[in-house]
Amino acid sequence: ACHVTPAAAAAGARLSALAKALVVEASPRAGQVLHAGEDAITVTWSLNATAAAAAAGADAGYKAVKVTLCYAPASQVGRGWRKAHDDLSKDKACQFKIAQQPYDGAGKFEYTVARDVPTASYYVRAYALDASGARVAYGETAPSASFAVAGITGVTASIEVAAGVLSAFSVAALAVFLVLENKKKNK
Amino acid sequence: MEAKPVAMEVEGVEAAGGKPRFRMPVDSDLKATEFWLFSFARPHMASFHMAWFSFFCCFVSTFAAPPLLPLIRDTLGLTATDIGNAGIASVSGAVFARLAMGTACDLVGPRLASASLILLTTPAVYCSSIIQSPSGYLLVRFFTGISLASFVSAQFWMSSMFSAPKVGLANGVAGGWGNLGGGAVQLLMPLVYEAIHKIGSTPFTAWRIAFFIPGLMQTFSAIAVLAFGQDMPGGNYGKLHKTGDMHKDSFGNVLRHALTNYRGWILALTYGYSFGVELTIDNVVHQYFYDRFDVNLQTAGLIAASFGMANIISRPGGGLLSDWLSSRYGMRGRLWGLWTVQTIGGVLCVVLGIVDFSFAASVAVMVLFSFFVQAACGLTFGIVPFVSRRSLGLISGMTGGGGNVGAVLTQYIFFHGTKYKTETGIKYMGLMIIACTLPVMLIYFPQWGGMLVGPRKGATAEEYYSREWSDHEREKGFNAASVRFAENSVREGGRSSANGGQPRHTVPVDASPAGV
Repeated sequence: ACHVTPAAAAAGARLSALAKALVVEASPRAGQVLHAGEDAITVTWSLNATAAAAAAGADAGYKAVKVTLCYAPASQVGRGWRKAHDDLSKDKACQFKIAQQPYDGAGKFEYTVARDVPTASYYVRAYALDASGARVAYGETAPSASFAVAGITGVTASIEVAAGVLSAFSVAALAVFLVLENKKKNK
Repeated sequence: MEAKPVAMEVEGVEAAGGKPRFRMPVDSDLKATEFWLFSFARPHMASFHMAWFSFFCCFVSTFAAPPLLPLIRDTLGLTATDIGNAGIASVSGAVFARLAMGTACDLVGPRLASASLILLTTPAVYCSSIIQSPSGYLLVRFFTGISLASFVSAQFWMSSMFSAPKVGLANGVAGGWGNLGGGAVQLLMPLVYEAIHKIGSTPFTAWRIAFFIPGLMQTFSAIAVLAFGQDMPGGNYGKLHKTGDMHKDSFGNVLRHALTNYRGWILALTYGYSFGVELTIDNVVHQYFYDRFDVNLQTAGLIAASFGMANIISRPGGGLLSDWLSSRYGMRGRLWGLWTVQTIGGVLCVVLGIVDFSFAASVAVMVLFSFFVQAACGLTFGIVPFVSRRSLGLISGMTGGGGNVGAVLTQYIFFHGTKYKTETGIKYMGLMIIACTLPVMLIYFPQWGGMLVGPRKGATAEEYYSREWSDHEREKGFNAASVRFAENSVREGGRSSANGGQPRHTVPVDASPAGV
């Protein structure tokens, strides 16, 4: 009878209360620059062997793994809208979901950096989800070993041409009117 | 706003001899003595619509970036400091531009002055679509913000087109509907962005394309001003200078008569704490409600938009109130009205900073506060047209520039960095409003009086405006426009003087519908 929506269950989760039960690795070297929309990373995750030994069967409730891209601390400075928060419903550091897979002990996938990922430093974090979709455990690459993404600027040649032409048109329209005005006055 | 009696439409100024005909009743200066909101009668109402719309477009351009900020800041990697600095830059460019604009209006007329300003700042709006760095963002906001100087030409234009009984209303509606752009853009830009995004652009490209909409609006509004606008009821400055109907003034004289008139300085100060506060609130209110009451971004955006949208009636209401007070109590009524309304606005601002127990109460106080502070803007420009005749443009420019200076200083003192919490800043800003409105008591017109003291015996408006001209200039008749203006502003003495044998409008063409 007790029905809990995934969102409601996830709302109360705190990072400090989650077990760090996953080991996550990403292929880029620390400091490597990836180009959004072109370069890909390979992410591998698995259950932390030592933690599992301590509590065998602890992963019985894990049903899925959600992998996210997170802003590294250096890219959070001076930007409240990217701040990490212990209360995961308020956390703004891990905004980009890059994959969700059913949980089966370990996984590996390739991810091409999406075109809407902005220029910044990132690390990868994975959450283990239970049947209701609530976050119950996590793992992450070392935030110090973050890699960089060079985002797309969004500027295209046609935008540049349009901006140039319309700017010139505005100034030219003024010039034409002033010349006509002068002619009329001196008539 | 008022119904158009058919009889008035056909009344002309034929009686004045060889002068042009108008669809509206006009005074001896050819300025309209009525204000028909939904008419396009040329040149008066047509100028009104072009003035408010072109100013509206400039407001839309200047505040087009904030609603798209979540995308822009990620694309360009902006920090909170970059955003704050760009916000200040966006309102500081217009400080000097407004002064220059006032002078330009006095010298070449509002039509050329405003169209040139608007067309020369549009490239900055178009270039917002190709910026790639924080400094680029700061620069485009600075240069786009210069276009806000078109406020001065709009007010100058209305003061040239509408006679004393309606000048407060005309200025109020033109200014208020222009400022409305600051609210409308909060709703417009997200819609434009969504549409472009849906058509298939990636987010980082879609916000760039969205900037072409305010850019195109600005370009075409300015071209309309050039093609269909007219400086004065009698014609453009070029024609009036040539026919000798108007004296071509020198920059030095215009500057001297503006800077030596203390009333202009006081109005610049008080306007800094009505319009300046409005600009500041436009920048901080969104964050204030978001942070203090934990509302979501959409709700915060809607509240921010409603603050700007209140302008549709609040500022015109201030102008209307000014004209009404003038018809009963003359200039003294206009002055008392400004002080009272702006001081109440200051008190409400303090209350806004204190109320934290309820979200609904806070929004209610903010709505009330927005009405009073914006009405005070309208009331200010009910007084500005009477300060000087010779330097009308520069006085408008000083006052308008004062508004921007107030915004820059207030944001820098109370809302920059982490020294004050936003609510503390709002409270102190309210105290500043109350303090900076007190000097209104010092404004004194010998012919009409001030807040505390009545008029000096024997002083006339003609004398007041003639003082701006030397004996030599008066001999040559350069002051003819000032004399006519003085005749038409006789009602500023209040009811008693207007009733002293004067008809309601001091003109031979007063269009009484007697012909019906």
